[in-house]
Amino acid sequence: MPKYAMVIDQRRCVACMACVIACKNENEVPPEQYRTRVLEMVEGEFPLLRMELRSELCNHCDNPPCVYNCPTGASYKRTADGIVLLRKNRCVGCKACVAACPYDARYINHEKGFADKCTFCDHRLKEGKEPACVATCIGKSRIFGDLDDPKSPVRIALRSADSTVLLEGAGTRPRVYYIKKFSKPE
Amino acid sequence: MELTVTGINALTSPHLHIWDWRVSLYLFLGGLSAGLAVMATVLHLRKGGALVKGEPAGYIAPILVPVILGIGMLFIFLDLERKLNVYWLYLTVNPLSPMSWGSWGLLLFFPVSGLFALATLPDDLHHWLMLEPLKKLAGRLKEYLFPLAIINFGVGIFIGIYTGVLLSSFVARPLWNSAILPVLFLTSALSVGAALMIMIARTNKVKLWFTKMDIWLIFAEMVQLPLFFYGQYTSSGAHRESIMPFFTLSHEYFFYSISMLVLFVIFPIALVMKMLEIKEEHDGNLTPLALVKMNLSAIMVLLGGLIIRLTFVYAGQLSKFT
Repeated sequence: MPKYAMVIDQRRCVACMACVIACKNENEVPPEQYRTRVLEMVEGEFPLLRMELRSELCNHCDNPPCVYNCPTGASYKRTADGIVLLRKNRCVGCKACVAACPYDARYINHEKGFADKCTFCDHRLKEGKEPACVATCIGKSRIFGDLDDPKSPVRIALRSADSTVLLEGAGTRPRVYYIKKFSKPE
Repeated sequence: MELTVTGINALTSPHLHIWDWRVSLYLFLGGLSAGLAVMATVLHLRKGGALVKGEPAGYIAPILVPVILGIGMLFIFLDLERKLNVYWLYLTVNPLSPMSWGSWGLLLFFPVSGLFALATLPDDLHHWLMLEPLKKLAGRLKEYLFPLAIINFGVGIFIGIYTGVLLSSFVARPLWNSAILPVLFLTSALSVGAALMIMIARTNKVKLWFTKMDIWLIFAEMVQLPLFFYGQYTSSGAHRESIMPFFTLSHEYFFYSISMLVLFVIFPIALVMKMLEIKEEHDGNLTPLALVKMNLSAIMVLLGGLIIRLTFVYAGQLSKFT
């Protein structure tokens, strides 16, 4: 059974936002709502500036607070591949998962009322394709694959460089890894 | 640092909230009904039932409990985005989800408080119950008043704690993520319950007895609130940052700072007023002025409880784990 994960190689991101658009298009995300976002953080004082680009999405945590806080079992972590998913027919829209997510990765779909989020394009994975954001990434900044497969792109990327996860202290054990552009603060 | 985010959801933006006043009112009314249930039990059991003799609050308070709870539950229902799926709350048990505890706990609290209200209804008021089976049930439940009162007390305490646990379980929101919060919400629930009991009681002895009880509860709240802020301030950077809206008198956080100032004014005033009330001689009936003072201090306590729920629900969503 695969153990899906994503690596964001921040060194390769060019902030084209194609991932954001591809995700919206693929998943029919309502206007003004998003499953993924790109942060552009400019630090320092002119002319000594540096910019970090960081894509953010659901971290498909191994210890997911959204799943633990869901009162109806609508949010669940699929044991087969570790993807955190939603049974839309069970969601009451109580927003407990939205409040519980330290990554602010969830939102209430204002057209349908359920607590929507990234699914790693589960429907595409079933067809043997990559998530839409990964397929469209021109800089190959987004890398997707099976953590248990030594030959998978994620394992190769994680072997090649030092990586980190967001908010490690939250104890959520995320499955989205970041290879940072800057190894330490200036 | 300059930050630009492409693809930001409204909900991740601090000025737009996940939960609004409907959840605040639910927590307040849930706490009030829980506190009143506990106080109604105390009224019936204290001094072997001597305190409740000749006191209409003995049956009015238990009737009010499910009514207030029902109004509170209406507000949380209004907050649900997919109301038709509400039945799933009762087809699922998730022991790790405080909201699941709450939905099952309220399902237990509602009938228990209803049965307790029936059991406490005096025989001469049984004509209020339109249906004959209800009258018979009320008559039979009198025999089980003591066990019902104990269950009512236990469930009331559970609901009082739950309103705090609902918020404190979120690691993502540092302001809420404190073990003191459920204790503070429980104390506040008991305090507002005692305050409402003072307002609905008719006899001097009951009003004064609950005034004495409320003094201790307000005092406990006045200790817990600074301890809560102290705990947050001495914790991680995110926890420290989370309480800043309460202490930053900028226009952005004006609502929180003013609310905190109001809290730190009305609780001591209510406390002093109550202490003066119990020092006064109340041989005969309470004078109109004494009644006004009693009700005013009780209203202050209720207002304080509401402010705590409103500010904590909103300010918690401004805080973020970093």
